[in-house]
Amino acid sequence: MVRLVSFWQQYHLGRWALIIVALALFALPLAQIIVPERKLVTNSLLFSFTQMFMLVTMASNWNLTGGYTGYIDFGHAVFFGLGAYGTGVLMAKAGWIFFPSLIVGAIVALIFALLIGSATLRLKGPYFSIAMLGTFVAMREIVRVIKPLTGGGTGLTLPPYLNRPLFYYVTLIQAVIVVVFVWWLIKHTEFGQSLIAIREDEVGAEMRGINATLHKITIFTIAAFSTGLVGGLWAYQNTFIDPDIVFIESRTLDLVMIVMLGGLGTIAGPVLGAVLLYWMRDIIWANFLQFHLIIQGLVLILIVLFLPEGIVGSISDRSGGTTIGRLWGRYFTAEEDTAPEKAEVGP
Amino acid sequence: MDQFVQAVINGIMLGGFYAVMVLGFSIIWGVMGVINLAHGEFIMAGAYTTWFLSKQYGWEPLVSLLVVMIIFFVIGYILQRILINRIIDRPPLISLLITFGLAIIMSNSFKLVFTATPRSVDTLLSGFWRTGNVTVPVTKTTILIVAVLMMAALHLFLQRTRLGKSIRAAAQNREAARIVGIVIAAVYALTFAISISMTGAAGTLISPIQPIYPFMGAVLTLKAFAITAMSGLGSIPGALFGGIVLGLIETFVATYVPGIGTNLGIISSYVILVVVLVVRPQGLFGGLKPVEVR
Repeated sequence: MVRLVSFWQQYHLGRWALIIVALALFALPLAQIIVPERKLVTNSLLFSFTQMFMLVTMASNWNLTGGYTGYIDFGHAVFFGLGAYGTGVLMAKAGWIFFPSLIVGAIVALIFALLIGSATLRLKGPYFSIAMLGTFVAMREIVRVIKPLTGGGTGLTLPPYLNRPLFYYVTLIQAVIVVVFVWWLIKHTEFGQSLIAIREDEVGAEMRGINATLHKITIFTIAAFSTGLVGGLWAYQNTFIDPDIVFIESRTLDLVMIVMLGGLGTIAGPVLGAVLLYWMRDIIWANFLQFHLIIQGLVLILIVLFLPEGIVGSISDRSGGTTIGRLWGRYFTAEEDTAPEKAEVGP
Repeated sequence: MDQFVQAVINGIMLGGFYAVMVLGFSIIWGVMGVINLAHGEFIMAGAYTTWFLSKQYGWEPLVSLLVVMIIFFVIGYILQRILINRIIDRPPLISLLITFGLAIIMSNSFKLVFTATPRSVDTLLSGFWRTGNVTVPVTKTTILIVAVLMMAALHLFLQRTRLGKSIRAAAQNREAARIVGIVIAAVYALTFAISISMTGAAGTLISPIQPIYPFMGAVLTLKAFAITAMSGLGSIPGALFGGIVLGLIETFVATYVPGIGTNLGIISSYVILVVVLVVRPQGLFGGLKPVEVR
């Protein structure tokens, strides 16, 4: 097992596996064109992939704040909702066409993230988490209250879409771009390097002149924009939105679970986690539909108790402890690498 | 003027309930450092237990109160022993995630068993007292009285008894408490059991005045957090103050902002929460950090 893990690490097999899977997914619709008589690519398959890619994208976005700044966001789905409603309102009420509405919807999410992030990202972790949970719950009610704009509890019906495979493509490309972008960002820009520096040692980074709060707000806003795009796409695909299906609490649960399952602060984690969750949920839905959220909640507890690093976090090597240990240690309790906080013992 | 007086009365009554509801949350956080995101779900469970006792055996909510408190004491004790004790020494985010999972499990289990239909509990203590144009509902008055009595009892328990003193000692300084011979694990289990028992009792209190449904918990958790942000951790007078402030704000918004109804309650508590957190991250009473339980 150990040899397998080190072999995996030595040749960066995780990275190659990701690239191969991504290429295969790009090539999938081509199979339909090459062999049209064999119904290889059904609409339901494309639909499944679309859903999975949405999960991948949102979970990667969640992981930007969760994994790179250590803030656990229980309200990330609020940006999904804002994107969905931004797009929905513009299309259904103002009669706009899809793409401009999608962009404006995501910009709404971005502006909101900028406002809420600059307030809440200065708080310590638990306060941020609950403030964002509050944002999520409150936004559902706000959307319900402003009836003239959002249709209130009765919801909005969007003009129907025409081309399902297009959606699959758009979502796929977006998901891949986001994952690659994160990768590229963290590795190759000063911004990404600063983020890593903040993650490793926030006080030290600030001493060297990095504005930690600004960086946190920036990454939070980028994540919100991208999730807003997914929300808009989802609204267009679903053609109907109302507060209860857009701001459903299980969406947040999904994101938290995916990242915890895959590995907080890893790039491949959200991808792997989303695929696993999607399959797991398919099986649960097929067999015990009634219990699916109960089972998901149980699995979350079990992961947190017994596999807090996630799958990818457990197999990748990092000298000087794991990401999760550093993040959580720095923010909350006295652990080895946060010696100055050791003075405060006790709850 | 009458409308104003009415709003003040309603606000104070709502505030009394909020104060008793928030205690369990703020004590668990203050003593153990665990943020219980399933707090609202325990209130929901308490309300459902009351509803069940009322429907099945025709018990008055006030009679069920004692039974609910005992049941939830046991549940809290067991839960602390098998789940919370495992994570007590780990970073608080672990407890956030665990209790988040617990909240999802609880609300969906109750939906499975009792369906999502809103329920209500009948009580004999209904009716109104009328003075001029101002009405005082009997049910809410009873709730306020019971809430104040419960808070007084808890206050006396924490201040006067040996067990209460050991809980406060453990909250102030865990290591020192251990050194003077307090068994921390036992104190934590007791704290959790008492808090959950109070929380279940809050569910009983809310059951005659609000519809009971499986997903009522998240909103209550958020309100509990907003009040805790105002009042500080584990402070009983603070909880009363914060609860009444929130109750007054909610009632005034519902009274004077037309066409919006009670949905704004959750929004106003959210606004309070964010404003308090941003303006004074240490809480209005400087209490948003684990300090002594007063």
